[in-house]
Amino acid sequence: MRHGSAMKHWPRSTSAGALALIASATSANAHIIGARLGDFYAGAAHPLTDLADLILWFALALLAGSLGPSAARPILLFFPLGLLAGSSVGAEVVFAPAGGLAASGMLVLLGLLLAAGLRIHRNLLCVIAFGAAAMRGASNAGGMGPETNRLLFALGIAIAGYVAIALVAAATVAFRGEETVSRGWRRIAIRALGSWIAAIGLMMGGLALAS
Amino acid sequence: MRPSLRILAAWTIVSAFFAPIAVHAHESSLGALELREVRHGAYVARWTIEPTIGAARVDLRMPPHCFFRLPELDCGEKGLVGALTIGNLGSRMSAALIKIIPMEGEARSYTITTANPTVSILGPGAPSLQSWIELGATYLNYGVDHILLGADHLLFVFGLIWIVGVGRRLIGTITAFTIGHSASLAAAAFGLVGVPERPLNACIALSIVFVGVEIVKKRRGEAGLTARYPSAVAGAFGLVHGVGFASALAGLGIESRLLPAALAFFNLGVEIGQLAFVLLTLSLLWAHRRLGAVLTGWGGLVPAYAIGSVAMFWFIGRLLRVLELD
Repeated sequence: MRHGSAMKHWPRSTSAGALALIASATSANAHIIGARLGDFYAGAAHPLTDLADLILWFALALLAGSLGPSAARPILLFFPLGLLAGSSVGAEVVFAPAGGLAASGMLVLLGLLLAAGLRIHRNLLCVIAFGAAAMRGASNAGGMGPETNRLLFALGIAIAGYVAIALVAAATVAFRGEETVSRGWRRIAIRALGSWIAAIGLMMGGLALAS
Repeated sequence: MRPSLRILAAWTIVSAFFAPIAVHAHESSLGALELREVRHGAYVARWTIEPTIGAARVDLRMPPHCFFRLPELDCGEKGLVGALTIGNLGSRMSAALIKIIPMEGEARSYTITTANPTVSILGPGAPSLQSWIELGATYLNYGVDHILLGADHLLFVFGLIWIVGVGRRLIGTITAFTIGHSASLAAAAFGLVGVPERPLNACIALSIVFVGVEIVKKRRGEAGLTARYPSAVAGAFGLVHGVGFASALAGLGIESRLLPAALAFFNLGVEIGQLAFVLLTLSLLWAHRRLGAVLTGWGGLVPAYAIGSVAMFWFIGRLLRVLELD
């Protein structure tokens, strides 16, 4: 019995451990990866160092997946392109001051859209995805040092974004299932998650204003 | 070809076009320091392979009781025991071999890498548990790093997955590739086979060109060699790639008594990196299938040509090095 109970709870504890590990990552960790594996992997790992990236990417993929495969597909192209564009521009301009507040605003928007269960047009979703990606790409470009190969670093961010969006959106599509009554609770779960994301966005916005 | 592979492949094109830049990192920048004991506790230090950053710029930190200023190292009565580290390892100097030649007994070698920048120097006698753990951590990480930085190896594995598809055949194919490269890695590391590095690298690039051609054949509905005998092809090319893996170890000049363990950990690291890549690729295939992400028409052929073209670019570049025209 004890063994069965442990088996039942391990995914939760593993997920919590993984989240704690990710949340504890700092930009120094990304630079260690850079020294060890080069600028491509440093770029791919850099978004892991900022909670705003993790939650924003997750929220966007969740929204895309909740709208169905046809809405999620264009995001596979627009999101990485936005990251590439943002990280290219971000390397040239200083973006930091409004970055935290903009990311919080975007989180609130995505969270509210999820919580309300609104079926927005996929073109609008593409615009949101490109905008959010460009914003976070620019913010991540701040992690580049003077000796960083900008192209490899930006490519690392874009590929990481592509992988994350594809996996989370597909998992959401699989989770949400078909339009049947028996799976209605899953859609409610996704909407509830949206409200948490909006709440996190509000808290992060408050922190950004206070600091 | 599975439709869900196409959009994934489109992104592979994007990465593949930039891969020639990344692959330079595959050739690690080494340094080798020789410490020859001239009287008890006193050594003469000499860089036998000078790192690209220059010997003077290496932040070499000896155990606290030692006095070190090139070429002099004096550790007094206690001798050279304790932690040795390099503070500024990075992309321009990824590994350093420290070879200690005592007045009596066999020479010992230690490898410092970016993944494991500190080693414990032992006194004479059998290696302790701590030294085995350090050896394991060093070479496991070095193996993972080597495969993750080896865009050519990863592209070859990706091509195999593309041709074979998901299922039992894939397990057989990847296993055959693993057996192939493990066998030749061991054979090359123990000196049973020796292939010059430059022609070998050109052959590795050519193996990816071959896979690219096989993908085009499959797309046209023809059953290529890889589609018919995936395990045999993967095993055969695995032998070539394995000798390539061994070249990463060759430059480190590992002590003979430590070589089997170092080899085992290095190979394990390579397998961990390869498995992670295969799992990531399979996860992305699943995701694309779920999302119905499909490239139609000519779009399905472009990635195959892109893989082939990038591999051909590598091949020509490496061939020029063989002919010393570069």
